[in-house]
Amino acid sequence: MEGISYQRFPKVKIREMKDDYLKFELRETDASMANALRRVMLAEVPTLAIDLVEIEVNSTVLNDEFIAHRLGLIPLTSDRAMSMRFSRDCDACDGDGQCEFCSVEFTLNVRCTSDHTLDVTSTDLRSSDPTICCPVDVAARATAALDPNSAYDPSEQRGIIIVKLRRGQELRLRAIARKGIGKDHAKWSPAATVTFMYEPDIHINEDLMETLTLEEKRSWVESSPTKVFDIDPNTQQVVVVDPEAYTYDDEVIKKAEAMGKPGLVDINAKEDSFIFTVESTGAIKASQLVINAIEILRQKLDAVRLSLDTEECDEQFGELGAHLRGSAV
Amino acid sequence: MNAPDRYERFVVPEGTKKVSYDRDTKIINAASFTIEREDHTVGNVLRMQLHKDPNVLFAGYKLPHPLQYKILVRIHTTSQSSPMQAYNQAINDLDKELSHLKSVFEDEVRRHSRDF
Ligand SMILES: [Zn+2]
Repeated sequence: MEGISYQRFPKVKIREMKDDYLKFELRETDASMANALRRVMLAEVPTLAIDLVEIEVNSTVLNDEFIAHRLGLIPLTSDRAMSMRFSRDCDACDGDGQCEFCSVEFTLNVRCTSDHTLDVTSTDLRSSDPTICCPVDVAARATAALDPNSAYDPSEQRGIIIVKLRRGQELRLRAIARKGIGKDHAKWSPAATVTFMYEPDIHINEDLMETLTLEEKRSWVESSPTKVFDIDPNTQQVVVVDPEAYTYDDEVIKKAEAMGKPGLVDINAKEDSFIFTVESTGAIKASQLVINAIEILRQKLDAVRLSLDTEECDEQFGELGAHLRGSAV
Repeated sequence: MNAPDRYERFVVPEGTKKVSYDRDTKIINAASFTIEREDHTVGNVLRMQLHKDPNVLFAGYKLPHPLQYKILVRIHTTSQSSPMQAYNQAINDLDKELSHLKSVFEDEVRRHSRDF
C-alpha cells in the first residue's frame, strides 16, 4: 500500500550571516513551504519572556500593569527554550516560578536617592540563572567583555528603559519568565522581521533593445523606480545590474509598451526560488531561529498524523471501497 | 470579561481528537479531515504536497472561521489510492523534506561560519 515518494530536496545558500541577521536563498521547494517556515518563525518558535510579575513596592509614575507589560516586552536570551517545558504542561510545579523545567526568576530592586532622574533599565533585572536567561542587551555586554576585538561600546548602551524615577521613588518586584510562542502574545516572538521574495528572472530582448536610441534607452532605464537596469558606458548596452531590486512593479513593462516596444523585457518570478531575510530580536540567533522553525514545523506535521483507531476506521472503508469498486467493474 | 483564553488558539481541549476523519457518503475515495488547533501554516503546505500526488484528484483546505481554531482538509483520490493513503504519504514526504532541509541548512551554517 506504500505509495511512491513525491519528496523534494531543497537547497540552501547563505549570503550573509550575523547573530541577529540572516539572508539566504531557498531553492527547489514551493511557496507553501517558504510561507509555512515564515509563519512558524514569526509565531511558533518558542522563547522566554516575563509573564508573571509580583510587585512589592511601586511608587513610580507608572502603574503596576503598565510596568508588568513593559517587563514582558524585554527580549530575553532563549537558547534553552526549545528544550524547556510550557508552564501549563509542567508536572514538576504549579507554575509559580520555583521550577527549573519551565521558568526563570528575576528580581528588581531600585530606589532613587539623588536629585537626578534615575533610569530603571533591563540591566537592573537580576536573573536567578544568567547563563540560561537574561535580557539580550545584558548578554551582549557580557559577550563583548570577553572579546577584546569587539566593536561593541558599552558606554553607548544604557539598557532597555523600564521606568524613570525621581527622588524617593522606588520599584521592587519579582518576575517570572516563562516559555511561550508568538501566537499567544507577540512578546514571545523571536522574529523582528521575516520576509521572502521570489527571485526574478529577467530577460532583455537584445534585438529589440538595439532598435532604441541611447536617449530612449536612458529614459527606459530610468522608468524603473528601483535601480534594476543600467547602461554600460563602453558598449552603451542596457544591462541588468541588480535583478533583486525589482519590486514586480511592472513599470519597465508599461514603459516599453508606451514606447511602442512591447516585449522589450520579459520578467518572471521563479516559482521555486526564494530569498529570505530574517531579523531576530536577539532572543535566539537568526540561524538558530530558522533551524528551530524547521524543527517546529516537523513536530506540527507529526502531530497531525492519523491515530491508529482512525486508521482502522479506514480499513473498513477500504474494504467497502473495494467491494463497491468490484461491483462497479 | 468573557474573552476566550489565548491558549485556546493552540491547545487541543481534553477529550478532543487532533485529527478526525469523515469519509464522503456519496463519492468513493473522497474524505475530509478535521484538524484541530491548526491554521494556514499546516493547511496550505499539506494541500500543496497533496497536489504533487497524481492519484489525488482534488485536495483543498479551509479555515471555516477565524474564531474556530480548526481546519478542514478535503481529499478526493483515484481508485489507485485512498484519501488516507494520500494524506499519510503527504505528511511523510513533508517530514522527509524538512529533515533534508534541516541538515542542508545546518551544513550551510557550518560552511559559512568557517569561510567568513
Ligand atoms: Zn515547572
